[in-house]
Amino acid sequence: MMKKGSDTIIERFRSITENPHEYAKSLQGQGHRVAGYMCTHVPEEILYAAGIVPVRILTSHVSQAMTRSYMHETYCSFSHDCAYQGLTHNYDFLDLIVTSSSCIHMGEAFNVWVRFAGFEGRSFLLPYPHIIETKPAASFMVSSFGEFKQFLEKIVQKPITDEDIEKAIRIYNRTRRLLKQLWEFLRRENPPITGPDVASVTLASQLMDKQECNQLLEQLIRSVETEPGKGATGARLMVSGGACDDLGIFDLIETLDYSASLVFIDSCTATRYFWFEVPEARPDKLQAIAEGYISRIPCPAKDNVPGTGEKKRFRFIQQFIEEFKPDGVVFLYQRFCSPQPMDVVALRPILDKLGIPSTDLELDTTLPVTQFRTQLEAFLEIIKREVVPLE
Amino acid sequence: MSYTVRSWSEFKNYQTTCYRNYLFAPEGLRVMGSTWSVLAPLKGLGDDVYIMGGEPHAASTAGTFPEEAREDIVAGETAGLGFHSCSYLKLFVGEVVRDKIAITDKTIKEGYPKPDVIWTTHLCSQHSKWYQEVSRRLGGIPMYATDMIGGGNAEKDPKIVNYVSDQIEEGILWLEKVTGREYSDELFIKAARNEIKCLVLWGNICALNRHAPAPLDERRLIALFPPAVVDRTTDESVRLYEGLLKEVKHMVETGESVAPDQRYRIVYFGIAHTYGHPEMSRILREVGAEIVASVYTFGTCGNFKGIVDGKWSWDPIDPAWVDALDLSTRRKAIVELAKIVLGWPTWQGVRSYWALETMARAMIAEYKADGLLLAPSRSCETDFRNGYVGLQRIFKSEIPTIEYDSDQVDVRKMDLPGAQRKTELFVQLMKAHKERSA
Repeated sequence: MMKKGSDTIIERFRSITENPHEYAKSLQGQGHRVAGYMCTHVPEEILYAAGIVPVRILTSHVSQAMTRSYMHETYCSFSHDCAYQGLTHNYDFLDLIVTSSSCIHMGEAFNVWVRFAGFEGRSFLLPYPHIIETKPAASFMVSSFGEFKQFLEKIVQKPITDEDIEKAIRIYNRTRRLLKQLWEFLRRENPPITGPDVASVTLASQLMDKQECNQLLEQLIRSVETEPGKGATGARLMVSGGACDDLGIFDLIETLDYSASLVFIDSCTATRYFWFEVPEARPDKLQAIAEGYISRIPCPAKDNVPGTGEKKRFRFIQQFIEEFKPDGVVFLYQRFCSPQPMDVVALRPILDKLGIPSTDLELDTTLPVTQFRTQLEAFLEIIKREVVPLE
Repeated sequence: MSYTVRSWSEFKNYQTTCYRNYLFAPEGLRVMGSTWSVLAPLKGLGDDVYIMGGEPHAASTAGTFPEEAREDIVAGETAGLGFHSCSYLKLFVGEVVRDKIAITDKTIKEGYPKPDVIWTTHLCSQHSKWYQEVSRRLGGIPMYATDMIGGGNAEKDPKIVNYVSDQIEEGILWLEKVTGREYSDELFIKAARNEIKCLVLWGNICALNRHAPAPLDERRLIALFPPAVVDRTTDESVRLYEGLLKEVKHMVETGESVAPDQRYRIVYFGIAHTYGHPEMSRILREVGAEIVASVYTFGTCGNFKGIVDGKWSWDPIDPAWVDALDLSTRRKAIVELAKIVLGWPTWQGVRSYWALETMARAMIAEYKADGLLLAPSRSCETDFRNGYVGLQRIFKSEIPTIEYDSDQVDVRKMDLPGAQRKTELFVQLMKAHKERSA
């Protein structure tokens, strides 16, 4: 069968997720400095304004034991795998690594890189609020971003101007709008692109120079807009949870014995990464970035509205349920993760009220994928019984 | 001969009275939350504020009612909390689920007493979620969590001190609004000075363990720090710690100790597992090995000089410094509170590997340790459990070091026979090391 235009572009995105090091090194070959970041709260715009391309540190999906003598086994496998990448020197080519104070597990993966993988002299830990909704959070962020900017100015040996930052903000906002446009295809009953493909593109965007990414995204959207739907979609599934760069799990959802389609992913490796914008043309650029990042779908590790203890993320989830109309929700999180499963306890009754079945998939490198297949198929049986007739 | 701490019963009574007040006070304000928060702001609401702190309550329930604690943990899990999540949290939520509460005087009260407000802190990725869940289960209790973004020498960083202070200031306005009470700065400032004083006094008491023999062992340290944790804002709590300091100073002068056979001195990093597992302490005690210093008992509610010129010092702070502190305005008192709490060694080590390392190095040297015992708690991500792995790598060639997993209250997570065997080997290692050095 002849490949459609969109397939070729998607393949390009997928190849970047499969060969992230090769891609990052090619950026260096073009004369760019490249920084790795471990948490999506790192304001990439400031790095980009400094002429440094941020690439997200992701996992290698290699079963490994060596990190156990550096990190406690009760840290999630995502953090172990990221630490592994440092210890095996897969990312030695990076000019810099950055993280923001976020979950303790990823913080420790960062520490492993700094202490034991040779990154001590080229690392930056960005102090970042743990509760994003407090009134003083924005000014704290602005101050941290200022320190980060100064740190970067020393590296690139030139001032980072407001114009540089404004330009970066606009480029990043462009990426966000395009990604959002792409995800919105999945609201359709018969979308012209699959959820796993959209997930792959979104993951790739976290590894790419955003200008190149934007060009490809524009081409992809143009192409997809002209294409017909992919056919019967079966049960519509939404995923909600933590970082997951294992695209195989999303492919699995669409290759089960029952027909199912992935319509939304609420995670920091998918929509939480980009579903916001930074205000443009503001006089104070760092303030604008702080406002933008505060407006994100909150990470469960940072979500606690002072006064009520409300989890703001739940409002977004309900909005996405309304818009993307899933028949079921899969809670997908790393084993040993603290914040994600705590949210599930409170989310499940909300879904129950909405009449939407849910199931949990706990990710761990030690679990065989077959186990997920069985569980997902059983879940689809429940949906079949309770919600939609399946083929 | 072993010394018996005279003021012990007063300490126990203080803790029990705090809990009974929370359970049975016919009037007043019930407040629940983390005792890692600054507590004095609550006291500006009046003299009738009764606090139920999550960690000390869970720990003491596990100590007093091991069977109840297990039931609570299982109830928490049945209600949806994961096996790997914090066992203090599960025990606490389990009580809410089972709609009953147990306290240190062996009272079990049916019908969980709802708090009026929750005043807590974001300590780790799970900690403020703990109270979000409690609030939700109790029908939506108003809740305020402060982001204590600690780590390293945060108490000396004006940006962080201001950030935390601003949140506390906002929190006081919120407390006024949500309780409808008029706020008294006078009461708040008095409570703030008491809070700071207790923390400094406890630091002074712990520092006396640098003497040989160390006057207190780990079990007594665990037993004696609850008032500092449960409610350290009262005149009574200050009086207790002033009295204890005097008594322990006297023990040092007369060479007395609660565990005088101290052939091997151990520095310990971990939560209070030896309390739940006395078998572990017994192995050590039988061969004259005692834990004389631990960051958990010293640093969860105690202050020391901390990082001075890039190096950690476990030197105590002169209590007279507290009396001279300028707390003349609400803001000044808030800032001093923020600094003192950010200065707790536990905060500093949680998010800063270098602070953890320097404090371990200083503790080993200052307390003349023969061995380093690391017992990360499997369900506590705040317990620097990853830091321990790093510590073991660093210290194993310098000092006999042992590491085994423990858990603060969930006995299912502890490999007791394995830990016992490791401890026996640890003792042999210390012995061989000492003989070689001699």
